[in-house]
Amino acid sequence: MRGVFHKVPLYWGLAILLFMLLFPFVNDTRSTLILLTQIFIFAIFAMSFDILLGYTGIVSFGHCMFFGIGAYSTALIFNKLDATLPNFLLGLGIGILLSALVSYIIGLLSLRLKSHFYAMLTLAVSQLFLVLAEKWRGLTHGGDGFTFSVPDIFKDRTSFYYITLFSVAAVFILLKLFTESSTGKVLKAISQNEYRAEALGYKSLHYKLIASVTAGVAASFSGALYAVSLRFINTNVFSIEVTLDALLMTMIGGIGTLAGAIAGAGIIEFLRHYLSELAMTYPIFERWTIILGFLYIVVLLGFPSGLAGFIKKFTLKKRRKEKRKREVERAA
Amino acid sequence: MEVFINLLVNGVSTGLLIFLLAAGLTLIFGLMSVLNFAHGGLFVWGAFSGAWIFKETNSFLLAIAGAIAIGMALGWVLERFLIRPVYGNHVRQLLITLGGMLVLSESIKILWGPNPIRVNLPGWLEGSYQFDGIIIIKYRVFVIVVGLLLYLALWLLLSRTQIGLMIRAGVLDKEMVQALGINVKGLFTFVFLLGAALAALGGALLAPYSGVVFAEMGMQYAILAFIVVIIGGMGSLQGSALASLIVGVAGAFMAYYMPDLSLALNMLLLAIVLLVKPTGLLGEKGSAV
Repeated sequence: MRGVFHKVPLYWGLAILLFMLLFPFVNDTRSTLILLTQIFIFAIFAMSFDILLGYTGIVSFGHCMFFGIGAYSTALIFNKLDATLPNFLLGLGIGILLSALVSYIIGLLSLRLKSHFYAMLTLAVSQLFLVLAEKWRGLTHGGDGFTFSVPDIFKDRTSFYYITLFSVAAVFILLKLFTESSTGKVLKAISQNEYRAEALGYKSLHYKLIASVTAGVAASFSGALYAVSLRFINTNVFSIEVTLDALLMTMIGGIGTLAGAIAGAGIIEFLRHYLSELAMTYPIFERWTIILGFLYIVVLLGFPSGLAGFIKKFTLKKRRKEKRKREVERAA
Repeated sequence: MEVFINLLVNGVSTGLLIFLLAAGLTLIFGLMSVLNFAHGGLFVWGAFSGAWIFKETNSFLLAIAGAIAIGMALGWVLERFLIRPVYGNHVRQLLITLGGMLVLSESIKILWGPNPIRVNLPGWLEGSYQFDGIIIIKYRVFVIVVGLLLYLALWLLLSRTQIGLMIRAGVLDKEMVQALGINVKGLFTFVFLLGAALAALGGALLAPYSGVVFAEMGMQYAILAFIVVIIGGMGSLQGSALASLIVGVAGAFMAYYMPDLSLALNMLLLAIVLLVKPTGLLGEKGSAV
């Protein structure tokens, strides 16, 4: 376990976890808990996207398909079968298997392509899933969607809050282990210079496939939680906006750091919540997406490493300054 | 027979509209290897501004001219402020042009509201021609004629003029052209504006054709244009024209006989081309692998 927290400020992580564990005792208003639950779910999704974008350097514009596959698998199981916990695990398992399969096939066919082609192809395939969900009305009820009931433990806001909190923590630790493993190091090498990694004898396609299946499985998990949190599903889970969310969260939080993805999810969901509340008084905020779009562009042009990169740079500078001060003192 | 001819006309006219979008994409890619995800945003801006000007002034020609002007202005902003700063970095180009797309299509919703807008045909293009019981809608013929003329104009521009020569040389070997003292960046701006104008024109022509415009349309047509550009071969104008016709006609027939599978067909075409000939039908440069 030491390896996990090797570089992360361990105490900070534990402090935040503790704070979040105690939070429902301090403030248990429904809307706050729902907002935080939503943040946790999207944090998992953003982390899964970051495995692709930040750690491997793959740009996928179709990540919503795994989110949607996970969401629909769980929703359909609850729709056809009883709302019990084993059935949730069944739906989750089906979603994860399907996502792994789909990401494997797509990766095998297209990960050899150059970045633009891969981005475009994933976008097109995700649109294909959207069309499939819209046309297969017998199963999905198309754009109208359907509601379903969930086990009691998911209905209670506080217990669901804890479930999602533990899920984030578990996914964070697992993905951290993954990125710190030897496979993760190869991925990092591929993101920096694919040709060099290949020349050193690492088959980049093989490693990229591992990354894409891992990301697909994690995204599917977050999709399943999302469906359960809403107790309703429609074809929106396959829309390009879901992919854009992941993109915004990882970019604003800082790519290449899992903590950044979580922070990004928090920032975006918070902004969304407050901006849509503002929209009730000032109708101009009704289209808050454009504000996020501008923010995204500004971050991309001005702070390409996001919030996490900004903090890292700041602390590094501070540390360097302190070091220099100490050296000056010693010299004196 | 009547159905066949009608579907063919539909397919060719849709194909030519897609070509207007794909032509800009393929030239921009060929010259600077920039894949512009915001291209669909210019297209949808062309559609909305064209429809709006037409409604206000009742002049279709003015609407087209206005749409092109707005498309070029937006294209200039995109090129200057989004694409130039990240030039040479593919991943950031992809990310930032997608952001541009988001802003363009959201601003449509702010200006014209989130609901689809109905668009009427201009009076002089309403109605249809009739030959031996075969009915052909006038506006589709108009789109085909305009599309073919534009293809011809682009072809002449590329093959007969000085600037066309520079563009073709730039597509083949950018560094060499630069070494010969030609301002490739300026050339790129020109091509980008040309592409933006074509995209906006395509949008303005599409609006009365489909009768209704909506903000999400940009992404839908952009995806079709991407598919066309890959099938035809990146950087090849002829390839794009050929692939546009294939996608348009195949789409029209599929939409009639198996409507649920029309997008799947395009994906299938794309997958086959990528697996069998990754450079596309007529492309030589810019292989996908």
